[in-house]
Amino acid sequence: MLKKRKLSEASIPTSSMADIAFLLLIFFLVATVIDVDTGIGLTLPEYIENPETVEVPKDRMAALLINETGDVLLDGQPISLFQIKNTIKPRIQSKIDLPSNKKLIVSLKTDRKTVYNAYVQALDQVKMAFFEVRDEYSNSRFGNDYDDLAVDEQKEIKDAVPIIISIAEPEKVSK
Amino acid sequence: MKFEKKRASTKQDIPTASLPDIIFMLLLFFMVTTTLREVEVLVDFSLPEAEALEKIENKRLISYIWVGKGNKIQINDSIVMLDDVQPVMYGKRQALPNVIVSLRVDKTVDMGLITDIQQELRKAYCLRINYSANIKI
Repeated sequence: MLKKRKLSEASIPTSSMADIAFLLLIFFLVATVIDVDTGIGLTLPEYIENPETVEVPKDRMAALLINETGDVLLDGQPISLFQIKNTIKPRIQSKIDLPSNKKLIVSLKTDRKTVYNAYVQALDQVKMAFFEVRDEYSNSRFGNDYDDLAVDEQKEIKDAVPIIISIAEPEKVSK
Repeated sequence: MKFEKKRASTKQDIPTASLPDIIFMLLLFFMVTTTLREVEVLVDFSLPEAEALEKIENKRLISYIWVGKGNKIQINDSIVMLDDVQPVMYGKRQALPNVIVSLRVDKTVDMGLITDIQQELRKAYCLRINYSANIKI
């Protein structure tokens, strides 16, 4: 007696696999949010109850003051918001070769009624000035933009052109 | 005279056997890059525009604070008062020591409030911040 053998092959139908995968794909396509978080980074100083005040020589400071109507004062001179970058740049460049305790400090101060947008624009200008100086310096040193350098080269540039932005301590309002 | 189309003798269909694999590759890419939005933004804000932007490399380190029109502050899922900022952020910092606080602030908000928030953040030792902004075109 012979056993009857089934002739049909046992196989999983795979033709619908692509459809299933497509469905999943569409779900993730729709659910994906590719918004890279971009912004202007800053590191705040630690909070100290009674901060000591240290005198900083005038030529080391670039004091920016933005009032509530968006006017900008740089070291007491009124300038327009978009001039900040070009005014600060040569001052950063002149301090590249100086030791690290003589680099330029940009101090940014606002009124309580200043609009946030004006503050961000000013900060943007300052950051751009620093970035451009970094790029120019790294181009003259290594022949490449700052972003394309190796880590130790980047560190060298960073030491030469540190970004020091000081957000002025808010004045105490007597209540 | 009889015209005959020249036809190659080979099969003319596209091999579809590898189609699922290709789709799975795409699928995997999107699965890996997807970050599902966990919080619902309750405040109304439009970000300022800037040029000197930096990307935040590590998304997991970010913790958001929204400040919308009408000086509303939102952390996590709820609107909070200014006094609550410090304890909440301190807790976050303890869970994640090198947290980056991304401030998503509306353009028209007064700096006074931002300064206050920054003071609270300093007290909570959340010192790395990032002013979220869109690219100026």
